[in-house]
Amino acid sequence: MKVSYDWLKEYYGESLPAVEEAANLLGKHAFEIEEVVISEQDPLMNIIDVDVLPNRSSDCLCHRGVARELSTITGVPLTHDPLVSKPELPATDAIAVAIEDTDACPRFTATLIEGIEVKESPEWLKTRLEAIGQRPINNIVDATNYVMFAIGQPIHAYDAELFPQVDGQWKFHVRYAQAGELVSLIPEGGKEEDRVVECVGTELLIVDGSSDTPIGLAGVKGGRFAGVHEGTTKVIIEAAHFHPIITRKTARRLGIVIDASKRFENEPSRELPLYAQADIIKLITDIAGGEAKGTVDVYPTPMEQTAVTVHKHKVNALLGLELSLQTMIDIVTRLGATVTEHDDSFVAVAPFERTDLNIEEDYIEEIGRLHGYGNVTAIQPAPQPLTELNQRHYYSELIRHTLTELGFSEVITSSFRKKDKVQLKNALATDKSYLRSTLSRNLAEVLDKNAGFNDLLGTPDTRVFEIGTVFYKDGEYVTEHVSVALGVRLKQSGYTGKEDRPCDEALSAISKALGASFPAVAEVGQKTVAEDGLPYTYQQGIAELNLTKLLEQLPAPTAYAPVPHTDAISYQPFSTFPFVTRDIALWTTEGTTAENVELVLNEHAGDLRIRTTLFDEFSKDGRTSFAFRLVFQAPDRTLTDDEVNQVMEKINAAVAALQWEVR
Amino acid sequence: MPIPPGHQHPLTKMVAEINSIFAEVGFVFAEGPEVESEHYNFDRLNVPKDHPSRDMQDTFWFKDKDVSEPTVLRTQMSPVQARYMESHKDNLPLRMIAPGKVFRNEATDATHEAQFFQLEGLEVGEGVHLGHLKGTIEYFLDRFIDGDVDIRFRPGFFPFVEPGVEVDMKLLSGDSALVGKWIEIMGAGMVHPNVLRDSGIDSNQYSGYAFGVGIDRLAVMKYGINDVRDLYTGDLRFVTQF
Repeated sequence: MKVSYDWLKEYYGESLPAVEEAANLLGKHAFEIEEVVISEQDPLMNIIDVDVLPNRSSDCLCHRGVARELSTITGVPLTHDPLVSKPELPATDAIAVAIEDTDACPRFTATLIEGIEVKESPEWLKTRLEAIGQRPINNIVDATNYVMFAIGQPIHAYDAELFPQVDGQWKFHVRYAQAGELVSLIPEGGKEEDRVVECVGTELLIVDGSSDTPIGLAGVKGGRFAGVHEGTTKVIIEAAHFHPIITRKTARRLGIVIDASKRFENEPSRELPLYAQADIIKLITDIAGGEAKGTVDVYPTPMEQTAVTVHKHKVNALLGLELSLQTMIDIVTRLGATVTEHDDSFVAVAPFERTDLNIEEDYIEEIGRLHGYGNVTAIQPAPQPLTELNQRHYYSELIRHTLTELGFSEVITSSFRKKDKVQLKNALATDKSYLRSTLSRNLAEVLDKNAGFNDLLGTPDTRVFEIGTVFYKDGEYVTEHVSVALGVRLKQSGYTGKEDRPCDEALSAISKALGASFPAVAEVGQKTVAEDGLPYTYQQGIAELNLTKLLEQLPAPTAYAPVPHTDAISYQPFSTFPFVTRDIALWTTEGTTAENVELVLNEHAGDLRIRTTLFDEFSKDGRTSFAFRLVFQAPDRTLTDDEVNQVMEKINAAVAALQWEVR
Repeated sequence: MPIPPGHQHPLTKMVAEINSIFAEVGFVFAEGPEVESEHYNFDRLNVPKDHPSRDMQDTFWFKDKDVSEPTVLRTQMSPVQARYMESHKDNLPLRMIAPGKVFRNEATDATHEAQFFQLEGLEVGEGVHLGHLKGTIEYFLDRFIDGDVDIRFRPGFFPFVEPGVEVDMKLLSGDSALVGKWIEIMGAGMVHPNVLRDSGIDSNQYSGYAFGVGIDRLAVMKYGINDVRDLYTGDLRFVTQF
């Protein structure tokens, strides 16, 4: 939430720490700070963007809340606190409110203000709203926004003369929607047409009691009914409390997230509506003139804050601190709780706006963060024997080591596929809406993608494997198991049949390492094998077996193999541009080794060379011939033949100077 | 031409190393299903239905006809904690880690994938406190990350812990571009009494801490990987660097 520094000052007073310091204090003790914006031109535009935590969205999605939080941190009381004294507002019988379910709408207040003049807001108000990214509209609408961003209570204003009366009374009715009932809402995103939504019956509606016409979805969004306009002189101001879950369900279903619904969803205090009325009456009469004619307040069951017993030993036991009871009480008092002290505990009642403080642990968190987590001393874990070993991990590692020794590299591929057996209810994209039922198809794609990289990677063929979960239906319901798949590709063009042998070798090696047996690929051919309880499939150079099933017959491991700490690997982003290869074969002078040749080649090949591989070597008449393959690739472009030819000319010249003869 | 050895994927390499570091101090490598019930993935973790805290994780749901109860692709490794606490409630104290694949229904970019690896850890016992959490995180990062590491706690909110903290780390040496900067690395806290209670553990006698960290995020810290999506493309130009 964007917080105006100038606005905070209104509550905190002139001693408010400087912008950066205030942001640091909040960051350390309360909330993450997204951004601090200090304006060179206008200090009134200085902003701290605060990421209010979900458990504090009930009281801190407003300036007073954030100012109060700073005051709690510093121990400096607010100079002006709009929530400090309970407002006494004269009643009126000009407005009647009927609530169908007071659990769904525990409180509804409305005030009549007459004799106002709708016009532009004063400069100070426009500046405050603009500073936090709100567009000023007119003094009445701006006042409702202002009070919401000041104390966190959403407010709505109606033109009283456009609101039909019954027997001289304005009648609000709060009731559940009927299934199929239509509600017109003010459109979003600058659209002209109203958004008409069809209710399912769980929505709470605010209804014009004269005609039973829906005015809006309670807590979520309103319609155009009795909208305030330039000629409005008489307004009804509504401030209510709606059940957070009902609000949230409706808002989610319709995809509406606006400032008001966000606040209602987070259960602000039920005490707030009356404070909001007091604040807005003052603000409107100040900036729009007029006079308040009374407030109706329907609040049948006032909410009481829970008294929570906090034990000194429990606080210290969870935080790992040795705080005195007095220190704890000081902190809890600072946040505004009423405290009754006992021998080794205290009973705390939170201020009404803190609806988040309900159990002992909630207070322990307050004490921990306000005292400062920096005071917690780290205690290293004492060695302790391992009581269980993870069989799947143990054997998976064994398979990994076995396969990497045979030249297989491990991949982890996506669990999502375009088409397969199990489709998700809500998918990311249409090409990712199914879950993989096999690893084989993913490996086939991995082989396709990598088969052309042999020269680049210095490998004679492509060998990959994956160990991962696959999903399918076992009878009616979705199930999963861990699968192992390995694949070999000799040629970029596809399976040749010669892949069977390396696959066979890999499977025998796994079977040997695990002490389990399964038939060889060569015997199996391209079909599914499910005998001996060791099902696996083999086709097109890819074998896959059910590891979960295999594990059932393997003994429990007794100790993990040691894992060396992997040394610092400095990863280099790899080039995705095509590479070019050039072969060079040369007769060398007597006594020249392959390493000598490689050094010379590399020295003259320059930065574009990324690999040099010896692929042939033979001696005849006292001379030795070496054949090398050089791989060239640029990080930022496709190389041209010319570029590479120039490099090769340099190499040829260097070689000639050494009396080596290019064949 | 001889066949050069292949390369293990950096993520499974990290999981093996993580396990080895934690096994030395008795943390058991626990696991659970990727297809997880709403009950274990949310309800048992103090994340009630229709509560705003559910918004913290965009979730993939299975179709009603395919499952016997509301079911998701697990969004976190915490359900494994809940399952482990439940099965070990009569054998306390416990120490466990749960590394594994998790899923979030959100758009991907260089620092976010819809599927990624997460490590969670848990200790429950008598007198377990925030200092033990700090010590365990330090113990782990000191061994896992090359060079000296500093950590700090900031207030955080995760429904299954109370108090909750965000953990930042700072590399103190080395030549990484990240040296000297505080980087948010994990969420942690003391296990919420509701979570202990629902697992059958008496929160008056026992307490516990839990932490969770993206292993992909650790890969960024450890290896300097610049795009976490590279971990899942099956591109050998990437894998063979490890």
